[in-house]
Amino acid sequence: MTNETRAQGADKPALIVGVLLLAVAFLVGYDASQQTITSTYGIGPTAMPYVVACGLVVLGLAHFVTAFRGGLPKPDAADSQALLWIAGGLVCLIGCIGLGGGFVIAIALLFACTSRGMGRQALAVDLAIGFVLGLAIYLTFAKLLTLILPSGPLERLFL
Amino acid sequence: MDTLLSLLHGFTVALEPSKLLFCLIGVFLGTAVGVLPGIGPALTVALLLPVTFKLDPGGSLIMFAGIYYGGMYGGSTTAILLNAPGESASLATALEGSKMAKAGRGGPALATSAIGSFVAGLIATIGLAFLAPWLVEVAVKFGPWDYFALMIVAFVTVSATFGDSPLRGLTSLFLGIALGLIGIDKLTGQARLTFGVPELLNGVEVTTLAVGLFAVGEAFYVASKRFRDPEEIIPIKGSLWMTKEDWKRSWAPWLRGTAFGFPIGALPAGGAEVPTFLSYSTEKKLCKYPDEFGKGAIEGVAGPEAANNASAAGTLVPLLTLGLPTSATAAIMLAGFQQYGLNPGPLLFAEKPDLVWGLIASLFIANVMLVILNLPLIGLWVRLLAIPQPWLYAGILVFATMGTLAVNGSPVELTMLFAFGFIGYLMRRYDYPVAPMVVGLILGPMAEAQLRRALQISLGDPMILLQNPISATLLGIAFLALVAPFVMKGLNRFKASED
Amino acid sequence: MLTSILKRGAITAVALAALSTAAFAQLNELKIMAPAAPGGGWDGTARSMQQALTGAGIVKSVQVNNVTGAGGTIGLSQLIGAKGQGDQLMVNGFVMVGAILLNKSPVNLTQITPIARLTAEAEVIVVPAESPLKTAKDLAEKLKADPAKVTWAGGSAGGTDHILAALFAQAVGADAKKINYIPFSGGGEALAAMLGGRVTAGVSGYGEFEGQIKAGKLRVLAVSSPKRLENAPDAPTLKEQGIDLELLNWRSVVAPPGLSAEQTKALTDTVEKMAKSKEWQEILKARGWDDAFLAGPAFDSFLKNEIERVGKVMHEVGLVK
Repeated sequence: MTNETRAQGADKPALIVGVLLLAVAFLVGYDASQQTITSTYGIGPTAMPYVVACGLVVLGLAHFVTAFRGGLPKPDAADSQALLWIAGGLVCLIGCIGLGGGFVIAIALLFACTSRGMGRQALAVDLAIGFVLGLAIYLTFAKLLTLILPSGPLERLFL
Repeated sequence: MDTLLSLLHGFTVALEPSKLLFCLIGVFLGTAVGVLPGIGPALTVALLLPVTFKLDPGGSLIMFAGIYYGGMYGGSTTAILLNAPGESASLATALEGSKMAKAGRGGPALATSAIGSFVAGLIATIGLAFLAPWLVEVAVKFGPWDYFALMIVAFVTVSATFGDSPLRGLTSLFLGIALGLIGIDKLTGQARLTFGVPELLNGVEVTTLAVGLFAVGEAFYVASKRFRDPEEIIPIKGSLWMTKEDWKRSWAPWLRGTAFGFPIGALPAGGAEVPTFLSYSTEKKLCKYPDEFGKGAIEGVAGPEAANNASAAGTLVPLLTLGLPTSATAAIMLAGFQQYGLNPGPLLFAEKPDLVWGLIASLFIANVMLVILNLPLIGLWVRLLAIPQPWLYAGILVFATMGTLAVNGSPVELTMLFAFGFIGYLMRRYDYPVAPMVVGLILGPMAEAQLRRALQISLGDPMILLQNPISATLLGIAFLALVAPFVMKGLNRFKASED
Repeated sequence: MLTSILKRGAITAVALAALSTAAFAQLNELKIMAPAAPGGGWDGTARSMQQALTGAGIVKSVQVNNVTGAGGTIGLSQLIGAKGQGDQLMVNGFVMVGAILLNKSPVNLTQITPIARLTAEAEVIVVPAESPLKTAKDLAEKLKADPAKVTWAGGSAGGTDHILAALFAQAVGADAKKINYIPFSGGGEALAAMLGGRVTAGVSGYGEFEGQIKAGKLRVLAVSSPKRLENAPDAPTLKEQGIDLELLNWRSVVAPPGLSAEQTKALTDTVEKMAKSKEWQEILKARGWDDAFLAGPAFDSFLKNEIERVGKVMHEVGLVK
């Protein structure tokens, strides 16, 4: 594995991380350069961002060096389907909360998708479990702690 | 002697059977709410404060103490079992604790955390009772330059959490510091790196980053390699209880953790995070089995947990003696006092000795109660890990998002949680340590604010950092800690070449 | 006989009930938003209102929800989005006026329906006990001589404390742009800086410094209220010392925009009834808040004045460009 990458020249992941670090450094530095208000005394709000940006540039360059000297540790192939299921669950959750679908449905979707991603093949059962779990949590928060979690049409039935 | 008498009197107030019952209820409620990630002790107390309104001052005060300690302990339970540190102070606990839990040593991890909390709470409360007036004199002497120097010491020593590659550790740390820049700059009120998103003005929440990187990131990681290299979670391996060996390895970290936590917690801007980091790195250095660190070393749970609890008692020093609420928790405590018309401050001990000593006594009792309640529960907690893996991880994600939603339910915050989770996955995949990133987010803004305050007072003269004895000493320690490893390496090489 | 009395009583009760509903449109449900995290000051106000409203039986069900972020401006924009909904209130206060400008928020306080001011707290300017400064005049002289040498400790940048320090500099004829104001997170840290003698003067709500003032560790140079405080009769006001400046850190409730006159009246009546209730008065006492109830047109114009004043001073200090 290592020999192969050496033959190709540079380690791709390390190069990508290096580029990303430079991009973050640029972003931090650019934002600092746009600041209009400075402190009258001592150092202003831009000093720290510039220091951080410089540090990130150094680290980015160091990653380039690493890329040609063995690179980052080589991970095993990932199960992208599992990742997609979990990511899908989280996207469902964010969408559901964002669109006003409420907490319980969001949690049910997240629970079902995650356990599907982890290898269970019973989506409907898991949806039901997630639903009950979400409802229990919602009611505990609302009734016991008077903390209102995001509510949709379903939650309003119980309040 | 007077102190002792007053304390004994406090116990007579707090030891009535009805009071004990309130304490038990408080500890139970506090633990139950505190286990929710994202809901730290401060929020736990804030949410449960209305429950205590209905009782008489004595009863409510003791219930309050119970809730408080329960909340603290609940936070570490989730950190250990679910790898979801619900507050920044349990970050260090999660590092080793969650590794222990997966290897079937969740029982001893929870036990050392409970007993460590107890020991630390006990010593620190004694410290509070006897040393408070003296300690507080020292504490207010700490200026911004001293805090800055303390942060630098913490920065240097946490390099212990970096893992084996300095490059990857530093990358993680710097990204964390960069995240810490996001939001309103405390000293000028200016927005930095918010890109016009109003939700970012408050900055990145530590718990969102920690739960994202730790719990969500791990769920991704475990799922991604489920066929190739399925993760094995062993709920219980060997004894559920601490073995003789565990005790032997725990007691010294407990005491050292307390020694870090109590004084730093007593500093008005000391906080609970710095002592937990210092304790973690100290234990790592002193441990006889350094290889175990990162795989579940009990010292790494015992020390930080003790430090965390001791610092909580430490924050009561400025609160009771000066009326200074120096942490979110202390601010809530203050609200708790005010509901009985108590105004903490220099006159409090003189004006309302009953209630103050009653409170201190109830802290002792709550501490005992916590151990009594939680030790039997450990068996139950650990069984959580026997839940089939798909459900376990789905449940962890539900818990993680619930904590975020309860505190700040905006889609932006959830998106950040998700993004941090994915970053956490990628970092695990390429063997970047995730802890330094959270450390950077916690310490970066603190260090920056203190440095800038120092320089504002000195009108821009950096020599102020070296002119003050405390800051100069601390910076000296930091410098030694930084160069010592290199010098040692050089010496070893020198010796080797001589041979 | 007995039945007839009962009957008559019942009729009177019904009539009374009818009368009271006519005069006062009772709300059955009310949502109060605290535009901050649970546990903070605005949250405390919202939850206390909930307690008083339900406790006194003014409103049957009251829900408190928290919308965190950006000095309350995220909550504000949500409230503005809830146009025409007459069952919603939001807690806000003086700090939000500055936060809107500081955060360059796209929404502002002219877009909502003001309901009532509830509480107010005076600010104090203090110095450590060993400081040579004895009066506000001494501080003014020092400030005029060299503003850099006067370090101020207080709460967040652009908050009430900062604005008072800036207004003070202006009022005494010093350069407000040059004040050396050091924001600390929370009153506790600022107080520690004062006690440690790290700064020249400190600014905060009276309550936060009260213990230290009474213990003689801090000396009050002035209070910012129009009159001397009841619990600190020895502390002179700024006005008494010839400095023309008044400032109160107030909290109020506001409602969404686009309400009908009846809706506004119903909300105002509800809040007024609460403010006069025994339950609310007890809470004020327990929490140490001063009653500063002000509703109707008087509150509208008060709010307008405050927005103008804060806007002006923040420009002059250079907090907003």
